[in-house]
Amino acid sequence: MKPPRFRYLRAGSVDGAVQALADNPDARILAGGQSLIAMMNLRLVRPACLIDINRVPDLGYIREEGDGVAIGALARHNEVKHSELVRARCPLLTEAYESIAHHTVRNRGTLGGNLCHADPSSETPAVMIAVGATLVLQSVGGTRAVGAEDFFLGTYETAARQDEMLVEIRLPGRGADGWAFAEISNRHGDFAIAVIATTLSLENGRCAAARVVASGVGEHAARLVPAEQALVGGPVDETRLDAAAAAAAGAVDPHSDSHADAAYRRDAVAALTRRTVRRAAERCG
Amino acid sequence: MERESISVTVNGRTYERAVEPRRLLSDFLRDDLRLTGTHVGCEHGVCGSCTVMMDGVTARSCLTFAVMADGAEIETIEGLGSADAMHPVQQAFWEKHGLQCGFCTPGMLMTAVELLKRNPDPSVDDIRDAISGNLCRCTGYQTIVDSIRHAAKLMREDGA
Amino acid sequence: MSDRGHIPESRQREAPRADLKWIGRSMKRVEDPRLLVGKGIYTDDVNLPEMAHAAVLRSPHAHARIVSIDVSRAAALPGVLCVMTGADAAKVCDPLPTWASPPVLQPVIADDRVRHVGEAVAAVAAEDRYIAEDACELIEVEYEPLPPVVDPEEALTSTGDAVLHPERGDTNIALERTLSFGPVEEDFAAADLVIERRFRWPRSGGQPLETVGAVASFDEGAGRFTIQCNTSMYNYCGWMIASTLRVAPHKLNIVPTLAGGSFGSKMFVHKVPVLAAVLARAVGRPVKFMEDRIDNTTSCDNHASDRVYYAKLALKRDGTLLSLKTRIIDDYGAFLQFGVGQHGNALSQCVGPYRINSVEVDLAAVLTNKCQQGAYRGFGSEVANFVIERLVDAAADELGVDRIALRRQNFIRPDQFPYLIPTGNMYDSGNYQAVLDETLKLADLEHWRAQQTEARKAGRYIGIGVATCQERSVFSATEFWMWNLEQGVEWTSSPDGVSVKIDPTGKAFVTLHSPFWGNSPETVAAQVLAEQLTIDPADIEITYSDTDQGLNSTGPGGSRFTVMVTGAIVGAASQIREKMLRIAAHLMEADVRDLALEDGAVHVKGVPDMKMSIAELADKAHYYRLSMPDDLDLTSGLDATYVYDHPVTTLPDPDERHMGIFYPIMGHSCHIPVVEVDVETGQVHFLHYAAVHDCGTMVNPMTLEGHIRGGTVNGIGTALFEEFAYDEAGQLTTALWTDYLIPTIKEAPADIVVGHVETPSPFTEYGVKGGGEGGRMGGPPAIAAAIEDALKPLGVTIDSLPLPPSRLRALIRKAQGRAA
Repeated sequence: MKPPRFRYLRAGSVDGAVQALADNPDARILAGGQSLIAMMNLRLVRPACLIDINRVPDLGYIREEGDGVAIGALARHNEVKHSELVRARCPLLTEAYESIAHHTVRNRGTLGGNLCHADPSSETPAVMIAVGATLVLQSVGGTRAVGAEDFFLGTYETAARQDEMLVEIRLPGRGADGWAFAEISNRHGDFAIAVIATTLSLENGRCAAARVVASGVGEHAARLVPAEQALVGGPVDETRLDAAAAAAAGAVDPHSDSHADAAYRRDAVAALTRRTVRRAAERCG
Repeated sequence: MERESISVTVNGRTYERAVEPRRLLSDFLRDDLRLTGTHVGCEHGVCGSCTVMMDGVTARSCLTFAVMADGAEIETIEGLGSADAMHPVQQAFWEKHGLQCGFCTPGMLMTAVELLKRNPDPSVDDIRDAISGNLCRCTGYQTIVDSIRHAAKLMREDGA
Repeated sequence: MSDRGHIPESRQREAPRADLKWIGRSMKRVEDPRLLVGKGIYTDDVNLPEMAHAAVLRSPHAHARIVSIDVSRAAALPGVLCVMTGADAAKVCDPLPTWASPPVLQPVIADDRVRHVGEAVAAVAAEDRYIAEDACELIEVEYEPLPPVVDPEEALTSTGDAVLHPERGDTNIALERTLSFGPVEEDFAAADLVIERRFRWPRSGGQPLETVGAVASFDEGAGRFTIQCNTSMYNYCGWMIASTLRVAPHKLNIVPTLAGGSFGSKMFVHKVPVLAAVLARAVGRPVKFMEDRIDNTTSCDNHASDRVYYAKLALKRDGTLLSLKTRIIDDYGAFLQFGVGQHGNALSQCVGPYRINSVEVDLAAVLTNKCQQGAYRGFGSEVANFVIERLVDAAADELGVDRIALRRQNFIRPDQFPYLIPTGNMYDSGNYQAVLDETLKLADLEHWRAQQTEARKAGRYIGIGVATCQERSVFSATEFWMWNLEQGVEWTSSPDGVSVKIDPTGKAFVTLHSPFWGNSPETVAAQVLAEQLTIDPADIEITYSDTDQGLNSTGPGGSRFTVMVTGAIVGAASQIREKMLRIAAHLMEADVRDLALEDGAVHVKGVPDMKMSIAELADKAHYYRLSMPDDLDLTSGLDATYVYDHPVTTLPDPDERHMGIFYPIMGHSCHIPVVEVDVETGQVHFLHYAAVHDCGTMVNPMTLEGHIRGGTVNGIGTALFEEFAYDEAGQLTTALWTDYLIPTIKEAPADIVVGHVETPSPFTEYGVKGGGEGGRMGGPPAIAAAIEDALKPLGVTIDSLPLPPSRLRALIRKAQGRAA
């Protein structure tokens, strides 16, 4: 179980990295490598060229950006997980990290790399969509910002072009009042069978806005709009919880694999929707 | 075959080698440096047997290319302690029967050392969180938790 | 009872005693220091000069003819030393060893057809493993797919192209026969009630952290192979590997390395050492072949039991169990290394701890397009435990009586041992009531019953399971062949030997003739020898022989090694003790009968000053022959070898009315898990877990508890998560460890409360029984019972494992659908 050959380039700066991407159309970025190298060991992916960005200085930042947070492409999972700034401004992400991988993997793996890998059962894409994060992509032609909702296009497929590198993740300031994350996996820390990330705002006891985002039950993380519609406009009571759960289950078209069948994933989406919406509403205080 | 020159400090000694970019850090340590105490169990990042310390935090050496360790400080089980002068974590695993076949043990020990560095008095839950990425097929884990708690005690006593 | 055979006299020399100094002590392990500092040498740590590395191209098809193989591009790759196909291999070696009779021929590399995904199609030796794997990708193979056989019950009727081994006839049934013991039909006729269930036991595997590997070299001058390997049984039947390699047995030396776990899976590895050896000979250099994880999951020697049961338990209305009938379809995969030994094993304790008067087992061992079966903690008996325990639970439910009470009613009583069960196997001793009582105490049953009641009111589902299981130990070889229809390897010996030497300074050297595979052979040997010679374990050094030096030794497996090495040490130590006493008697001019060995010295009883230390006596024995008695049988030195035979075994009855005594050292356990089931998600959480085991006299309680807890978590894996799952096309969908779900610490209970009862064996030295497998043999039925108990309000029954959240949720969904 050894990786195939590849050319190795080490970038000293973001500009250097995107130039290398432009110069090597068969290249991709190597950040923490925790998913990529495993897949290369299995020879499931075989990039001809890797551009190692681990030496790019000052790319692992987590800093205030207005009332939100800006996270550099090299911020390691554990740094994000334990960031007080993230906890204060995007607690949904902090909560999600309780279910993401294991300590040693989080030491090396990066949030940016995880998002670009776009595994359909990954947790972080759901969080990004739920909070309305923006992903900043850079190429030799310049930078552009893509909303998380538009970033994930399919299994291992994102809106980033081959010549673009994700350089920053922007989390907005706390928009919603309530939030909750829940996941089911067979073993703790495994990729998810189903994930629901929910954000919610209440006004006068009624749901003013809601995002219910699923992962693990489709080709990529996505909002479950019918569930959101079932919530908005009324109190978060048992009737609406049931309606939202049913709508969520109806909004997904999950697959079956060795971890769970489609019927289970649908049940899980319903259960997790009910649980996250309830908890998010409670957190609205 | 293209090779990259790297310089890696392992257990305090610096090694200069030329390696293929695809060479895994686990193979570099085991085959090139003959430091075979780091074990390889799955090579796809699930089992944690190959865990080493890289620049002060644990890393899976099967999910790291040796070229990525250029300039890094690596610590492996061989640097932890010797049979006649064990590290308290090794001593504690011995006393509390924290191992049977010994194959997961080096990775488990490096993970425990990292935990105790950041948290000298971990709770059972802290320990369970910390080693949840290291599989052990022999012990059922309970005596590993006992061992790490005992190691924490030994280290606190040492420090006191 | 004569239909069940006879019980031989015990040959026990050392009775259990209360005043033992080393046996019974939780001594730190002798094995550990080198393992803790990274200096243990496992197979993959062996590095020889000029060593090449092998990789294997594996079949992507479950079942196909190999039409053509083109290795030219692979062979031309720089760094490649040799590419070997099945045809090449067949020129230099014979099929692999097998106990199946008639044999199922297994080539080391597939010849004209592949029979499972992952079977070797070609092998490459190269300068390093990276290049070897590159070369594998360059081998071009044309396949002609054949129909895959995946479902074991469909395999019963396969014909034509779906037959895996046409040379054995137009069928995939490798062996089908019925064995009946006692008056089964009469007992069923007398029954008031028959419980009938279908059970499905999933294909799992030991999956130790270390895979199987070998480093082989061939000395052309001597015409001799040397293979360093993490196998067991090398001193029992290592010569079989020589036969496969077409050399005389003395032209092969198998050298054991440490094994990084086995759980049975490394009992007798054959493919890997043979492959390394033929490649080494072909390239003229040492070759290492270390399975990677996919090599191992797809093509190891040891996927475990994969069975369908149609089971019937006959009983009286008053709860008396009468008779058991099972129809078993066992999916053996593509080959049969150990024959149907797993079913020999299962006959040893198929009635559980209960007085059941008669048994019938109807077995169909089928061949399918999957990896072959081998051994995994239980070797087939863990399945029989699951079946009998599930049946007893079902019987109690049907009768409306308490599950615990029905067990108590039918337990074999302490005064009935030694007890012959209908199959002829003996249970040497036991006290099942005491084990149950102790477990109930540790489980705090009243507390959890109250919790259960409260939880149900709140819509939560807590369940308590009780399983009372046998834990046979110390197999004799009969288990491998008793089912065979034709004569094959009908061995009756399964001994273990040791060599013990006291050097002239008084230090003790023990050579074990079986390997370390994650157990504690050195610790056990040191404790028993220290006990025997009244010396300090720190003065004992333990090493392992290779086959050149080895004595007949079966090795670990079947929970036998602690019992067997204890017997062997007792035998060797008694020879050494006798010699020391003779020398001491001569030198101190005393009568041997007046001497005693205490605290490392031979004393004249009652004369405190009259003593000689073991070191002094050893010095005399080595260097002062003329000071010793001038007896012809006395020679210089202080050493002994001893091969300890199976403590008590008898042959099957020629008419098969019984199968003799073949697995008699009978431990027992009771497991009581408390679980909570989340009915919305199907997730199971452990709230408490108590397990009490009776493994006779304990040599080292600490290491025994390690086995119990580790085995229990293996059992949790089997019950809840682990499965080698093949899809309809015969693709293994769980070949990676992301998909084959070994429990992490988060899936294991935080505290498995372990207790002990010690009912010594009257047949083994000191009364020791084996305890290496019991956790996995008791866990699954207990966990199934606990889940069923939790879901009792919904009416869910558990008859199939594993139960990951999706499967359990499916059962709940169905039950809720019925209710609605």
